[in-house]
Amino acid sequence: MAGGPSKEMLAEIASRPGRDTLISSIVKYVFILLSLGFLAALLFAPLATVFITALSKGWEMYFESFKDEDTLAAIRLTLTVAAIVVPTNTIFGIAAAWAIAKFEFRGKSFLITLIDLPIAVSPVISGLVYVLLFGAQGWFGLWLQEHDISIIFAVPGIVLATMFVTFPYVARELIPLMQQLGNDEEEAAITLGAGGLMTFFHVTLPKIRWGLVYGVILCNARAMGEFGAVSVVSGHVRGLTTTMPLHVEILYNEYNFVGSFAVASLLTLLAVLTLIIKSLVEMKRK
Amino acid sequence: MSITLDQVTKRYQGSPVVNDVSLEVGEGEFYVLLGPSGSGKSTLLRAIAGLTGVDHGRIALHGNDVTHVSARQRGVGLVFQNYALFRHMTVGENIEFALKVRRMKAAERRERRKELLRLVALEGMDDRLPTQLSGGQQQRVAVARALAHKPPVLLLDEPFGALDAKIREELRRTIRQVQRELKITTVLVTHDQEEAFAMADRIGVMNLGRLLESGKPDELYARPATRFVATFLGAANLLLARQTEQGIRFGAAPVNARRVEKLEGGREQEVVAVLRPEEVELAPTRDNLRTNFIANGIVEELVFTGALERMRVRMADGAANAHIVTQANGSSAPAALLDVTRTQHEQRLFPVTLGQSVAIGVRRIHVLPTPLSSYTAYGSDQASCERLSQHPLLVELASRMKTRIIKREETPLVACDAPASAPVSGVAVIAAGPKTADQLQWLLQNGAGEVLVLPAHSASPQRVLIHWADDSARRSTLAVAASLLRHVAAEAVYVGILPEGSSGESQRPFGVRTLLDARSEAQAVHGLEMRTELRFGAAADELQRQLHDSQDPMLILGVSDPAQLRGTFGALFTSGASYPMMIVYRPSKDNSEGAAE
Repeated sequence: MAGGPSKEMLAEIASRPGRDTLISSIVKYVFILLSLGFLAALLFAPLATVFITALSKGWEMYFESFKDEDTLAAIRLTLTVAAIVVPTNTIFGIAAAWAIAKFEFRGKSFLITLIDLPIAVSPVISGLVYVLLFGAQGWFGLWLQEHDISIIFAVPGIVLATMFVTFPYVARELIPLMQQLGNDEEEAAITLGAGGLMTFFHVTLPKIRWGLVYGVILCNARAMGEFGAVSVVSGHVRGLTTTMPLHVEILYNEYNFVGSFAVASLLTLLAVLTLIIKSLVEMKRK
Repeated sequence: MSITLDQVTKRYQGSPVVNDVSLEVGEGEFYVLLGPSGSGKSTLLRAIAGLTGVDHGRIALHGNDVTHVSARQRGVGLVFQNYALFRHMTVGENIEFALKVRRMKAAERRERRKELLRLVALEGMDDRLPTQLSGGQQQRVAVARALAHKPPVLLLDEPFGALDAKIREELRRTIRQVQRELKITTVLVTHDQEEAFAMADRIGVMNLGRLLESGKPDELYARPATRFVATFLGAANLLLARQTEQGIRFGAAPVNARRVEKLEGGREQEVVAVLRPEEVELAPTRDNLRTNFIANGIVEELVFTGALERMRVRMADGAANAHIVTQANGSSAPAALLDVTRTQHEQRLFPVTLGQSVAIGVRRIHVLPTPLSSYTAYGSDQASCERLSQHPLLVELASRMKTRIIKREETPLVACDAPASAPVSGVAVIAAGPKTADQLQWLLQNGAGEVLVLPAHSASPQRVLIHWADDSARRSTLAVAASLLRHVAAEAVYVGILPEGSSGESQRPFGVRTLLDARSEAQAVHGLEMRTELRFGAAADELQRQLHDSQDPMLILGVSDPAQLRGTFGALFTSGASYPMMIVYRPSKDNSEGAAE
């Protein structure tokens, strides 16, 4: 390649509105301060409160709260739900995104709307839908009782509700990416003799991997943190159907602030970890 | 033959994007498919590769029918415009992909990779990622990757589209060199005629899904058969002329050019002449010309472009009317501006300045063998003339054919008794109405050879039915159909009709032979691909039934006697047609000549 400034640098120079004047730099700093102040008040303060309250009685009490049977059960349940929901939604998300990005068919826009639905619907409603379907008074309630299957107020209900709420994340992330990347590489692979599976694993998957990881991370964060929908279907049976967010609420209502905030701090750490991985992935994507 | 396409048709939402294309590409040949965007050339290439299925027709590679074989099994080498390299694989892995699929041993793979990288002059680049290469280098890798598994044919889809001029030229040379070295049959798709000339053994020009013409670059340039090819391959001035016994005439001025090609068929008729800008000679006066004088003119535009000087000369005299190149917007006013290019040498011999008046001569004229030269809209009063000349289908046809529409008012059209004020030339156009049959007969008596009948509302035709009254009208009807169908994205169907009953049934073998003859003649003589159908019954009824069953039909009907319009086909005109019709008439004395040829 010839010398000279890189393409990125030229684009950056071109995108600049002009030379910095005194006023424009003042405006710049005012805006930066404003947004930082807003973030500090709304994000950092609550975050700090969580950790301060959790550690208010010292580290010993903090770790003591994790020895509680019910707390451990809540952590286990949350991990189980995530372990079921995230892979399922990943597979269905890829399938849905593939169908939408690669094929033309009737009702395509309807399908896109359906995928978006869980984001638009309030989580409490999502939970209620399952209660109406599978609850004791629900459509399938009687049949389920006869066959001794419990969905509502049990783990299957929690899994279903979580799955419903977190479905869009993988698909939403992949659809625009797949549309933008187009079909050429896949077609090239096919003319070179590759079959469907080989094309998918050697061409498509590597092509979309960072978008996929990004979607999975978001899906996982939401699956572990979901409160509304799960709250409706879980029944709050301590040690059996409480996930971490629900357990935080229960402990808080019992005035067990240290225990409640200790579990909350765990969720917060998870969120921070998710954010770190997310920014790493974003860097990698570029 | 390496690639054989037989009547390949691909429809998209009902309308054909590839329309009855038949083509043969020879062993080791470099074939270029040239056409504007949307002409169906890329779709055709994808059909050869197997990435797009076809609705009709057959595709064979090296004699094996692969029409229903998957893209994976066909295994052609395909190069995309945007390279489509596997972005997460290195150059080496990209090239080895096809070999890995075929489970070739690692050592052999490495050997083949080295060989291919040498071929495209990228030695030592094995471990780079595609993003670390320039556009030209990426395309070289794409070519190497496509060749790795020794494919039966190599297909290139606008491979230089995203590259700048210098690299493009270099890459052209590389690809041509690789192709010669491997002797691999190659098809390249492009919209750039310069590129086509630079690379092709043979060029096929496509427009509106049809393969218009196919031939060696120099032959296509010198002797195009269609307006589209004449103007798409390089610049061309199109002029209306009259072909007479003495030669070609532009308006009043006869041109006795020795190098004018004689058109077959004796009688005087309107023709379309192609004048290449470089075949035009300019001189201070008529006597200074060393070639045939056609008109005087004034230099209106003068551009220096390095090796050549480009100018536009406004023609005076009668020749001004002859100029029929319409602008892109389809305005049919004669521009009378002649494009001229001159070499440095010519400039030194006779320097010109803007506004100077010059004599225009021409070294070589090529006459297009098309029977459709210009359109004349006939009406009994000015308003109806005007309305007809604005008819959307007529305007579309005229602009696609790059010809003009003349308006002519003829009061005898009402009663059809008095003779016309001037003989009919070109295609006469009338509006459909209750008197269509009378008007048709009147026009034919006044010298019309082709008449287009347009109903008030008609969409662009999707399906063109062709029929002729008897064999003597066959040749001219096919010529008109071929000309027309080059400018309309429609399917062509020849309908052969035999009388019903036992006598018709016994004639079936004869009927089938007629169909086959018609098809092969259409293909061989006129380059028209059409389908054929055999029907039994009364001609007019059968045609009407067929027209009724088709969506947006058009009828091309050939007759050898005006009386046939009232007799055999009378029923077609009494009901007031709701579809466009083209009537082709050649009196039977021409037929004896036709038979003698």
